[in-house]
Amino acid sequence: MAAPLVLVVLVAVTVRAVLYRSSLAAFISERVEVASPLNAWKRVVEGLALLDLGVSPYSGAIFHETPLIIYLFHFLIEYAELVFMITDVLTAVALYLAIQDFNKVVFKKQKLLIELDKYAPDVAELIRTPMEMHYIPLKVALFYLLNPYTVMSCVAKSTCAINNTVIAFFILATIKGSAFLSAVFLALATYQSLYPLTLFAPALLYLLQRQFIPIKLKSKSFWLYTMQYAALYLCSLVVIICLSFFLLNSWDFIPSVYGFILSVPDLTPNIGLFWYFFAEMFEHFSLFFVCVFQINVFFYTIPLAIKLKEHPVFFMFVQIAIISIFKSYPTVGDIALYMAFLPVWSHLYRFLRNIFILSCVLIVCSLLFPVLWHLWIYAGSANSNFYYAITLTFNIGQILLISDYFYAFLRREYYLTHGLHLTRQDGTEAMLVLK
Amino acid sequence: MAAPVPAVCWVRAAAALLLGCCGAALASGVQDQAEQFFRSGHTNNWAVLVCTSRFWFNYRHVANTLSVYRSVKRLGIPDSHIVLMLADDMACNPRNPKPATVFSHKNMELNVYGDDVEVDYRSYEVTVENFLRVLTGRIPPSTPRSKRLLSDDRSNILIYMTGHGGNGFLKFQDSEEITNVELADAFEQMWQKRRYNELLFIIDTCQGASMYERFYSPNIMALASSQVGEDSLSHQPDLGIGVHLMDRYTFYVLEFLEEIHPASQTNMNDLFQVCPKSLCVSTPGHRTDLFQRDPQNVLITDFFGSVRKVEITTETVSLDSDLAGFESKLPKDELATEPLKYAEQLPVAEIIHQKPKQKDWHPPGGFILGLWALIIMVFFKTYGIKHMKYIF
Repeated sequence: MAAPLVLVVLVAVTVRAVLYRSSLAAFISERVEVASPLNAWKRVVEGLALLDLGVSPYSGAIFHETPLIIYLFHFLIEYAELVFMITDVLTAVALYLAIQDFNKVVFKKQKLLIELDKYAPDVAELIRTPMEMHYIPLKVALFYLLNPYTVMSCVAKSTCAINNTVIAFFILATIKGSAFLSAVFLALATYQSLYPLTLFAPALLYLLQRQFIPIKLKSKSFWLYTMQYAALYLCSLVVIICLSFFLLNSWDFIPSVYGFILSVPDLTPNIGLFWYFFAEMFEHFSLFFVCVFQINVFFYTIPLAIKLKEHPVFFMFVQIAIISIFKSYPTVGDIALYMAFLPVWSHLYRFLRNIFILSCVLIVCSLLFPVLWHLWIYAGSANSNFYYAITLTFNIGQILLISDYFYAFLRREYYLTHGLHLTRQDGTEAMLVLK
Repeated sequence: MAAPVPAVCWVRAAAALLLGCCGAALASGVQDQAEQFFRSGHTNNWAVLVCTSRFWFNYRHVANTLSVYRSVKRLGIPDSHIVLMLADDMACNPRNPKPATVFSHKNMELNVYGDDVEVDYRSYEVTVENFLRVLTGRIPPSTPRSKRLLSDDRSNILIYMTGHGGNGFLKFQDSEEITNVELADAFEQMWQKRRYNELLFIIDTCQGASMYERFYSPNIMALASSQVGEDSLSHQPDLGIGVHLMDRYTFYVLEFLEEIHPASQTNMNDLFQVCPKSLCVSTPGHRTDLFQRDPQNVLITDFFGSVRKVEITTETVSLDSDLAGFESKLPKDELATEPLKYAEQLPVAEIIHQKPKQKDWHPPGGFILGLWALIIMVFFKTYGIKHMKYIF
């Protein structure tokens, strides 16, 4: 499987290299859908230039990257294009290896459940075989590397790619079972963009499952392991933050990075939901609504953890999707990460109900983004409502996609244990409904 | 016969001596004049006169600008070299009881509007952007000549501004402001593009001295009607017209300028004394540290007038069509001097301070050490200490 992966990597690198040399690169890096105030390349360059002039880059409201990014790009700024191509390749390879391992785990679990007779007798067509799962890791790498969203994000040199790499390594470490590495990478991802904090729950569930520790609230080993993992995570986070203090000898980066992410002062339009609301809101209410919007990101973790405690990797997928929809400054790079996972759930295709409409919505909205932006900003014949309508539709499409997959997944699980032909008490055919 | 001869000789000698002294005096006078001929380096004069306020009750600002316009025109600067910007039309304002006039003295003694006023920027064209474009010369190609400041590096420019101002800003048209920093930067652009030889900046607003605080280009002299924290007051209302006609500072400057004629030798020190606190209530200020000549040697007519430096000669020079012989007369052993590049003709670097270039930033050693120690620790924790034995 290495050869096709190498081929895919080569094709992806060629596409990116071609785009870097073309005139589209400048156009793409200006697009608000690709570059947000948090991860625009222009701002990284500005911050490093300020540092060369002897001014702290956090002193203005321009630079919102973490000190480790400053350190990384201080030496690599001339090779920025190479760095971003390498990060994309690393992400793809990490996802490839992770999904390879995950497939083995899935298959083993399925075999165990079949032997334990947990499955209903007529679900033979739902059982997955290694043959069909053989190409899934390659498809995952392909989906990530050749996704137009990823390509655009790479050409725009948005540091979202680096965040994606760290999250991919975190997933790889979790699936391989190394709690220490998983905690370290999660701490790095949280350090950079704060929202991966919610990925703590699925990672913990997966590691518990792997150690065969039952998830009961009264179980001592459960709490012990949870404490260990939480301690690893928090310690690494604290160590990384303290280390960043020593780069510039100041704590300025904390309000500039985390204060910025949480309080959303910059209302540049993007593909998220925050900007329009806060552009219109009275000052009086903005704190309340900022809290509401931010809680919305973290809110789904506990209910999903309760529902999906047997399926932590799917939980991780849903959680990453929720982060990329509801975070304060989403870009298409975040979307590309969870879309890379879709081949893993390709066996759910027969249960998806709205996939055609949703894919049309997503494609059409992606194409309409630049059109309505042009109409609003340059032609002046539209206004922000038009652009926000497309943003809303796009996000609704994404949310419906996730809930469709969620429904399909749960439906398949139900069918596996209860049989394919469900009947009600009076014998007529029943339909599963997601309540 | 011997006695009258020595007397006649003595008278003749005395007469000769007297003539010689007169000649010497005359020669030194001529020499003085010749010195003065070369004293100031300018060959042409320009004036940019700006009134920034509109509305009838700001009549006095228009009257201020028009009185300076009148003096400057009277002393010789032609309309083609004056850029007059008036933000409102007082002469034809429906509230003007005497249409087509703008008076500067009460009892309607002096009509500064006259018959031959040429206003270049009128009404809503007087904006900060247009003013800065006039100064820096970055004007769209369709602008007519009368709206351009076509000065060169031998021009002395008089810039007079009046209106409502505050600490560090001047209000334009009741809707925008120009700050002292912008003005200083505009003058610096003018200096770098060699758009002036010397500049006299006069401002008559409240807290006017704040507007010249930020200048940093050479050869600028500035006068203001009041210091920071003081208001400039208006002079006298006319009960027939119903508004204040002039501001105090410009009123006394106008009176001072009425005494000046194109040949007068009054210098800038007299202008600095023009409106003492007893008459003006505010304290006028001036700034000469950027100016290279001593104000004592700067004539009023260097800025307010357009004194042409012409010398009439009675010699006739015949232009030789055959220049080949002339060229061969050049001595060949002269030192071959390199032709000076345009930018090197003025000692700019000596006048303008260059900021020292900042050193590049390097991450502190402690950080790098800590980071790589952590990375190595993570690596060994994951892959085991047993690999250490391959290193040591």
